[in-house]
Parts: sequence; C-alpha cells; structure tokens
Amino acid sequence: MTNTSENRVKCELALTVNGKTETVRVYPMERLLDVLRQELGLTGTKEGCGEGECGSCAVLMSGKLINSCLVPVLQAAGANLTTIEGLAQGPQLSALQAAFLECGGAQCGICTPGMILASCHLLDKKPKPTLDDIREGLSGNLCRCTGYMQIFDAVMEAARRSPA
Amino acid sequence: MRSDPADFELIAPGTLQAVVALLADKPGQWLPIAGGTDVMVQYAAGKLPARKLISIWNLPELQGVETLPDEIRIGAGCTYTELREHNVIAEEFPLLASAARWTGGIANQNRGTLGGNIVNASPAADSLPALLAYEAELIVVSARGERQIPYLGFHTGYKKMNLAPDELIRAICLGRRFSNYLHYARKVGAREAQAIAKVCIAALGHLRDGVIEDVRIALGSVAPVPLRLPEVEQMLKGKTVGPELLHSARETAAAAIEPIDDIRSTAKYRAAVAGNLVAEFVEHLGAIARQREPGTSNTLARWNFLPATAAANEILPCCGSRAWADGIVARRPLPDEESLLAASDEIWRSLPESDWLEAFRSHPRIGESRIDESRVGESRAPKLAALQSATWSEQEQQGVADARDSAKIALAEGNREYERRFNRIFIVCATGKSPEAILKTLRRRLENDDHTELQEAAEEQRQITQIRLRKWLQG
Repeated sequence: MTNTSENRVKCELALTVNGKTETVRVYPMERLLDVLRQELGLTGTKEGCGEGECGSCAVLMSGKLINSCLVPVLQAAGANLTTIEGLAQGPQLSALQAAFLECGGAQCGICTPGMILASCHLLDKKPKPTLDDIREGLSGNLCRCTGYMQIFDAVMEAARRSPA
Repeated sequence: MRSDPADFELIAPGTLQAVVALLADKPGQWLPIAGGTDVMVQYAAGKLPARKLISIWNLPELQGVETLPDEIRIGAGCTYTELREHNVIAEEFPLLASAARWTGGIANQNRGTLGGNIVNASPAADSLPALLAYEAELIVVSARGERQIPYLGFHTGYKKMNLAPDELIRAICLGRRFSNYLHYARKVGAREAQAIAKVCIAALGHLRDGVIEDVRIALGSVAPVPLRLPEVEQMLKGKTVGPELLHSARETAAAAIEPIDDIRSTAKYRAAVAGNLVAEFVEHLGAIARQREPGTSNTLARWNFLPATAAANEILPCCGSRAWADGIVARRPLPDEESLLAASDEIWRSLPESDWLEAFRSHPRIGESRIDESRVGESRAPKLAALQSATWSEQEQQGVADARDSAKIALAEGNREYERRFNRIFIVCATGKSPEAILKTLRRRLENDDHTELQEAAEEQRQITQIRLRKWLQG
C-alpha cells in the first residue's frame, strides 16, 4: 500500500473537554484516548486493552459512555467530552468519587476512572439503580483488584446520598 | 503492531449525498466507519487493509427508527442502545432487543450500529439470526439510487456480501406481522453478555389448533454466514410436537450446518448444541400446544414464551424483587401452577437480604394501599407493574379499608413505630385479616430482634407472593 502525501496531513480540531474548548493539531485517525492523554495532558483516562473490552479508557461523549480507544478523534469534534478530571469541583470530589474512596472501590486505580464514568452514565439514566442495574451498567468495565463488591457498594452509596 | 495514524486518511462529509458521491468516485477505496467498534479494533491491531476512511457516524440520514403501520425502518446508524430502548422493537421484535442487550458492554452498545454489525458480517454476531428470523429487508443506497433487497441471501460467503463497493446500507426494514408468534432466542457462550457466542438461535413459531402452522429458525456461529434452516422449517410445518419430531428436528438441524473448530468451541460441540437448541425450541412449541388444551392456564402458556424482560416485568408485581422475577423467568417453561408456586418459594428463600428489602419497598404501608405515584418512576419496575401491584395491595387490604377510623389511626401509629424501630415498612399478609388482628401482630413483632423480624417479614412476603401468583394465573 502506498501512501500519498495528502494522507499525512494533520488537521486542526476543536475539542470540548470538561466544559473547556481547546484546539488540537492531530491526525484525524488518532485515537481519542491518545489525544486526551498526550495532546491535552489528561492522563486520568487509562489505556487497558486498547480494543474496547475493558472499559479503562471510558469517557462520556455527548453524555454517552464510550471507549475512547475505539473513537477516531475526528468523530469527537463538536461533542461535549467528560473525563475523570471533569468530575470534581476544585477540591470538592463528586458524590461518586467520594463514595468510591469511602467504600474501597479503588485499589490499583487503573480501572477506576472508567468505572466512575460508567457509574456516572448509569446514575444519569437510573438515579436509583438496583444491584442488577449496577452490575449491568458496569459490565463493560473490568477490575482485577476489588472483586467488584466494593465498587457496587460505592455506586449504591452514591445513589443513596443523591437527593433525586 | 499498532497502526500509525499518519498513514491513514479520515474524512467526515456530513451528508449521505456527499458520502455516496465519494464512494461512487473511487469505488472500493473508501472504507465507511460508523461507531468503530469493529474497524478500530482491526486498526489497533495493525490489520486494517483500508487507508482511506469515511465517517458515517451521526449521519442524519442513517439515524432513528421510523415506525410505519406495516413495518419499522431502522436506520443503519442506530446503535444497540437505541435498539434496546425502542418500545416497538422491545414489544414486537424481542429477538432483536435481546441480541442488542447481549452485544458487548454499555460503552460498545452506545457506539456499535446495526448496519455496522451486518456489514462486519461475523457469523457469530448476535443480531443477525434475529434479522433472518424476522425476514428483514435492507435498503441499500448509492449514487446510482436505492434498491431494497431481502436480508436472506445477503451474506454470500465468509465476510462476503451482496453489496457493491459504492453502496451503503441505509435502513433495515422489519414487517410488523409477528405479534402472534412465539419468539425464542438463546445464546450459548462463556457468558450471556460480553462474550462471543459458541452457538446462538433466533426462532419464531406459530401454532394453530396444536399444529405448527409457521416456523422460522436461524442460527449463528454454525457456518461461514448466519444461517436460516429451511430444511428444518419445512419438516416441522403442519406437524404436532412429539418425541419423533424432536428427534428429526435435532438430526436435520445438525446436518444443515457447517460448524468449525476455533478458539471458542469445536465443530462437534457446536453441532450437538445447535441440534439441542432447535429441539428445545420445538419442545417449547409443544409445551405451549399442550397448555392450550382445556383446563390449563392460558396466562402461564403465554408467559412461558414471552421474551425474558417482558416476562420478568409481568411477574414482578407478584413479589417486587427483580432478582426473584429474573430467577423465576430463568426456570421457564413452568408447566403448571404447582411448579410455579414451588419455584417461587425456592427462589425467594435463596435471595439475599437486599433483594428481600427491595420486595418490601414495593408495597404501600398497611392502611395506605394507594401507591405514591411520584415513586413509580424511581423503580426499575415499569409503571404498569407498579400499578398492578397497587391494585393487588388494595384488594389485600380490603379489611383495613373497611375499618373504623380509630382502628386506622391506631394502625398508622403502629406503622410509624415499626418504621422507627426497623427502618423499613411493616410487611404483613393482610388478605382476610381484620385491622385488629393486624395491629396485634404488629405489636408482637415490634418485640422481635432484627434477625427474627427479618425472617418473619420475609415469610409474610412469601405468602403475599403465593396469593398474588394465583390471582395472576386466574387473569
């Protein structure tokens, strides 16, 4: 396969991440995951499997949970993106972050940002989830430390505390 | 070896017209990419042959489900999440709704599209047997115009299909003519979700006077393409179900497929399981035919063949615990009232405390049988289920409703005391009990320790469930 020189052109894209719009110069097929980490320095989003199986790189795109390793960055232009860095208000942790800390929902921490964003997405759709809802909502996020129970507890606890 | 993004071109023209014009200009050069759940996996592995990609994600012309009187048209860009959440699909095409639920985790369901699943053409894809069973038609578009083709025959070989290089699938059409059919779907794999099937089946059947009038059976993961089984269908039509028919269905199915050995399974295992799944489907049809004979419960006959979600939602108000409802659905088909009641007791007693509490929460306070409408939306139980539960509560509490005001006030005070003491509502099987008797029970149970009281409340709930199941069976 030969490549013409036109293939090798970077483009300027405006990305709105955690409410802030930034312009990046990237190849359109770069993975959203890499642009978040390398161009924008948002290293909270983790790479696990790199093929959409583990959920470590999950972020919200237009309010929907997606695996950022499977999104070419061009498709993220114009969408509102939320990463783990966008949840806390200054030093004030979000209810989910606080519950993960208190319930022991994070150990090594690699799966944690994806877990929390998947939980955000779940609570957004179902503010008072059952245990089954939580199991299903997090079924695309793998954790090899906690055995999941503390994570489920944390989501339950965050839901319990929310006023809705 | 990972791909270098600098070697790839990706454009997003934004309209269908612009996309098909580019495809026509250089047929075969551009690879369309929608949600990327397959393309990006190949790209990450350095195995994507195409170097020029054209984004069709969010293309307006490929979005949405159009509901017409005779058919629905699912935009090829509809995601699995959209399929799962669509009411008409859930009610009339449950085989497709189940497949959408089984495919990947939530993040991939938010990106994976039905059109993408078709052109990715995996023989193991969960949704494709459902499209075969429903006899889907595809609307295919190019700069040359549109054509509508049957989905049956679309796949011509492993990853080969009846789609020209300048064409795109625009929509998938499903005729709305299967509401009287029994829908049967099962996936055999390491797990139901997040694991690719070893074998999966989607089947539809229609009975008239105990005879199989019409039937459609499709299997995944048993051949280079998703497979309809016309030989088995022909053999079944016009027959009544008996042991011989089951045997021939199993044999004919096993002969009609060409399974392979791969990392997930072996050809031998797949042939055996495919035969078993077909036989199981036919057996279910037979069970329905028998249940429709006089003297058996129509409710149970119908419910045994509802898709799992619909079946769980329907039975949920008998108890209120989602885990109980899912557990009892997993025991189907239940041949009669006795086996239903026994399964209910067994599942109820095996549940953890959290599931008991969920059931308790589904009840109104004794003496307040109207459910709080504002709470209905909170529960995962659909609104209809909550309203059914409220109606039953009213009937069960008839004795209390008819009571004197002073008795009602005493009961309300007792309720409050109980809630302070145990931090949940007082559960009692109220059918046929006077308010005085209930109040006496309440006072006695206030003296219980936490463990004893939890067991006692669970026993009361067990009795309520039994009564409600009987009412439900009577329709």
